[in-house]
Amino acid sequence: MFDLALQAEPAATWTALAPAILLGLTGLVLLGIDTIRTDEASNALLASVSAGGSLLAFGTAAWFLVAGTGQERTGGAITLYGDALVVDGMSLFFTLIFTIVTAMVVVASYDYLRDHEHRAVFYSLVLFAATGMTLLSMANSLATVFVSLELASLPSYALVAFLKNDKGSVEAGLKYFLIGAVSSAVFAFGISLVYAVTGSLVLGDVAAAVNAPEMAGVLGIGVLMMIGGFAFKTASVPFHFWAPEAYEGAPAPISAFLSSASKAAGFAVAFRVFVEAFPLGALPAGVDWVIAFQVLAVVTMTLGNFAAATQEKVKRMLAYSSIGHAGYALIGLAALTAGGPNGDVLGASMAHLLVYGFMNTGAFLFIALVEHWGVGRTFEDYNGLASTAPIAAVAMTVFMFSLAGLPPFGGFLSKYALFYSAIEAGFWWLAAVGAINSALSLFYYSRVVKAMWIESPSGDFEIQSRPVGLYAAVIFAGLGTLLLLPAFGPVIETAQTVAATLF
Amino acid sequence: MVGIFDFAPAIVLLPFVSFLVALAVGDRLPKGGALAGIAATAGSLLLAAATFLTVAGGRTYDATIYTWAEGIEAVDLTFGILIDPLSAMMLLIVTLIAFLVHVFSLGYMNDEGEVGLPRYYAGLGLFTASMLGFVVADNLLMAFMFFELVGLCSYLLIGFWFREPGPPSAAKKAFLVTRFGDYFFLVGVVAVFATFGTAAFSGSESFPVLAEAALHGEATVNTFGFAPQTWFTIVGLLVLGGVVGKSAQFPLHTWLPDAMEGPTPVSALIHAATMVAAGVYLVARMYGFYALSPDALAIIALIGGFTALFAATMGVVKREIKQVLAYSTISQYGYMMLALGGGGYVAATFHLMTHAFFKALLFLGAGSVIIAMHHNEDMWDMGGLKEKMPVTYYAFLSGSLALAGIFPFSGFWSKDEVLYETLIHGLGGSPVLLAAYAMGLLAVFFTGFYTFRMVFLTFHGEPRTQTASDPHSVRWNVKGPLAVLGVLAATTGLVNMVPVEKLLGIGGIDFLHQWLDMSTESLNAHHYGELIPYSSAYIGGEATTVAIGAGVSLGLALAGAGLAHLLYNVPEPVEHTDRLGGIKTLLYNNYYQDEYQVWLANGVTRPVARVANKFDQGVVDGVVNGVSSVSLFSGSRVRRIQTGVVSNYAVLLTLGLTALLLAFGLLGGWFV
Repeated sequence: MFDLALQAEPAATWTALAPAILLGLTGLVLLGIDTIRTDEASNALLASVSAGGSLLAFGTAAWFLVAGTGQERTGGAITLYGDALVVDGMSLFFTLIFTIVTAMVVVASYDYLRDHEHRAVFYSLVLFAATGMTLLSMANSLATVFVSLELASLPSYALVAFLKNDKGSVEAGLKYFLIGAVSSAVFAFGISLVYAVTGSLVLGDVAAAVNAPEMAGVLGIGVLMMIGGFAFKTASVPFHFWAPEAYEGAPAPISAFLSSASKAAGFAVAFRVFVEAFPLGALPAGVDWVIAFQVLAVVTMTLGNFAAATQEKVKRMLAYSSIGHAGYALIGLAALTAGGPNGDVLGASMAHLLVYGFMNTGAFLFIALVEHWGVGRTFEDYNGLASTAPIAAVAMTVFMFSLAGLPPFGGFLSKYALFYSAIEAGFWWLAAVGAINSALSLFYYSRVVKAMWIESPSGDFEIQSRPVGLYAAVIFAGLGTLLLLPAFGPVIETAQTVAATLF
Repeated sequence: MVGIFDFAPAIVLLPFVSFLVALAVGDRLPKGGALAGIAATAGSLLLAAATFLTVAGGRTYDATIYTWAEGIEAVDLTFGILIDPLSAMMLLIVTLIAFLVHVFSLGYMNDEGEVGLPRYYAGLGLFTASMLGFVVADNLLMAFMFFELVGLCSYLLIGFWFREPGPPSAAKKAFLVTRFGDYFFLVGVVAVFATFGTAAFSGSESFPVLAEAALHGEATVNTFGFAPQTWFTIVGLLVLGGVVGKSAQFPLHTWLPDAMEGPTPVSALIHAATMVAAGVYLVARMYGFYALSPDALAIIALIGGFTALFAATMGVVKREIKQVLAYSTISQYGYMMLALGGGGYVAATFHLMTHAFFKALLFLGAGSVIIAMHHNEDMWDMGGLKEKMPVTYYAFLSGSLALAGIFPFSGFWSKDEVLYETLIHGLGGSPVLLAAYAMGLLAVFFTGFYTFRMVFLTFHGEPRTQTASDPHSVRWNVKGPLAVLGVLAATTGLVNMVPVEKLLGIGGIDFLHQWLDMSTESLNAHHYGELIPYSSAYIGGEATTVAIGAGVSLGLALAGAGLAHLLYNVPEPVEHTDRLGGIKTLLYNNYYQDEYQVWLANGVTRPVARVANKFDQGVVDGVVNGVSSVSLFSGSRVRRIQTGVVSNYAVLLTLGLTALLLAFGLLGGWFV
């Protein structure tokens, strides 16, 4: 019977899930190693297995994307398990972001975890969270959306609280968990309301049944509550409160992971759910989620940037700046119109998230490096860092200027494409708000650069070591940020092509 | 087919490579990178010579090398190479002089134990490369870019001895004054693009050709509401702004005498082959465009004639040998402008060529004297150097005879043709040209005077100081270039003996005319001859006019030289110019040109700048500061909300969601 079922399916459709499966298996292998090795397993072994697994998943996803798996030229999106999951260009594109960020994070963690116990747990939690994110980008039913959201979130709570003896870490983990619980509750409630209106959880079926004017109120509340759930995952206002605390308290590689990959996962699922389940043309009057996203985008980018400008600690500044960037990425949903250049808008947002994956991860990993050295956390503590660690300081400078959107770095083009597509769609004011916020962001980003390069060192600190893994990850992220400028052409083309198929 | 033209980019790139080499590893090379520069310019010289011979075979070349900005429904911005007789000739001149200047620098810089040699040779390399790039440019924008590079290099080299007070200030002055002219040039480039949609010099789609067609009503171009004639004049004059700055024409000539603060070989390069020549070359390059506008031509001629006379009078009273040469350069470029404005395209090119040789010679000769005098430049401290340094003397004399325009040295032929062309076109009904001609003619006298005053004071009579009686010796690397240039200064006039042709009726010895006629249809001298708006008239026939013109100018030159001989070729010369009284003070202070420009800067520009600054500080910065204090204030509010108490967050989160729900619900009518 089982054999027959396999044969009846087109050969190896399930293999389209390979990136997710590889990530999950790697997590299990890590647990296996920990079980077999009774003594504390070798850090290098664990780190290389994790990095290998995530790179393998990255390679598979890239191969699929190039080969056309789940895209129009090979027969369109592949749906699996009763339409619960879908593999298409967009899910593969986001898988690229998750896996490459995961790889950088685990490589950097190799040094960060040197003096910690339970390393295997750490690595496997990272990989399970990455599995959840990958599934999140493939989720085609509200049920799988919720389950994979939890799969991505639960390991994250544990990871934030991983430094068990650090009060800040534990406190941050608890706060993150509590806010997460509230958000999940809101989200689940939203799903149930949508189910009540449409009678289905599969996105396509929801879309078919969504135009029920007599139930518009219930649907509206449900949609808005689901927006709340996504806002939590992407750290958007007003569900952003956890982010500064969690990023600051968490081990720095985990901050990088959460602010880059986890945020991208939130966008991946939000893009799919809103575009697929609540198509703009089919909604009943009064339920206009685009306006909600416009409000969220403007408030989020403004609040994130304004708050970042007044921070004293670099890590906290980066936390708020990542809230600001969530605001930019929200333009991808806020500038959609029925019949507009929606593929361009959404694709530009996806491309920005990819570039952001490199530059933001790199910036947080630089913080990890600085924490590793035991340099303080404020801007003043960074004074003169460039004279002692020039290479890392150059990389950090690249990240800062790229985050601010200055040429000649990847962040310049991705932000440009994003704002340009918003203007193209007719939302010039969104682009204008974004541009003003970018200008403001240059102020606090350049404070870091100024401290590192121009100020003279305030105290004597000596750099004891030059951790290989952290350096490798930081330099890799820096190179990625730089190379994404010349390579931005194919990236944005791919992103906009795969995004266009959603409409 | 791989031909010599495929190597044309190498002519430009070789000196650029030497720039990189000198910059990167110059301090580890023997002679501070000089050898790399010599090798590179020698290579360029050989390639330029081969190119020249190929062009002599009747071939030209125009190719786009690289399109660096592709216009979508707009103009393409390209780099390209245009090799025609004019640019081939200029390539040969520039590479030859650059090569000789590099060799000479061995004697002037290396042997004198200067420091910072890699920087010096890097500057020379980049300077040469920029000028060569400018010469081969096939469109106005590329020409502009290299024009600016030339300006930058002159800044770097004039200010080479930046630790002394004079050179940095002179370098800044040169940079700013020429930049002032280049603003107009830049606007002119944009205007050319906006008008014609192209800035190419050659081909059927080039802007001079389009302009000509537009005047004949065969093409339409955007003239921004002006009559085509008027608009082309405006555009031409805008570009002319850059020319006036670079070629040191009145009133933007003030930077050039100060630029003497740079090392003497650099002065030779600037005056003979690169910076100053760039301006005149540009007009010659786009002569097909200027020839369409009688008003622009008249203005060019007037500027040229006036500058020639004006600068020559100032040269009469200078004490330093290089100062005299500086004013002579301004004056001689005035002649070239006069020729261009007077419809003498070939005459201008001819004078550009002969001047390049004799002026390089005079500067290098002056450099040799300066070495001998232990870097004292005051001619009143010299005297009697003739016996001590014969090679320098005879070479310098050859250059001086050419500069003064004495038969049969090169300057005679070219200056005579300049004046002759202006005269016949002036007689043909252009009184403006006659006025310009009169100034040019008068300047001949002054030129003869100051040139030989310089020669006699420097080389003749008795040594007036201890140094002059026991000068420092110079080596082969100084004498060699002097000898080469001495021969060239004496003989290059023979390439275009128009007066001999006209008087004796020997046909076919006007080689330069024939050479410049070989270019493509829209770029040859014949075409320009048809375009210019002048007609010719003669005093009793062509041969008579030639004879009268040559006789008068030679007579004036000899008179000037003779007066100098009477006054200064004595054992103990005295400062006869003191007898000029107040006029001497006026001349010595350059007609107070610097003063009025400084007054303009201080009295006009400063107050305007101060107002602009007020606006910037008060209004612009006020708004910016306002925004930043608002954002910092609200940022600190946000920080206060972030209390760190998780239940507060939950409350805020719920309140936020509720607010959103209420707002959208009321808007969307969900609660009805």
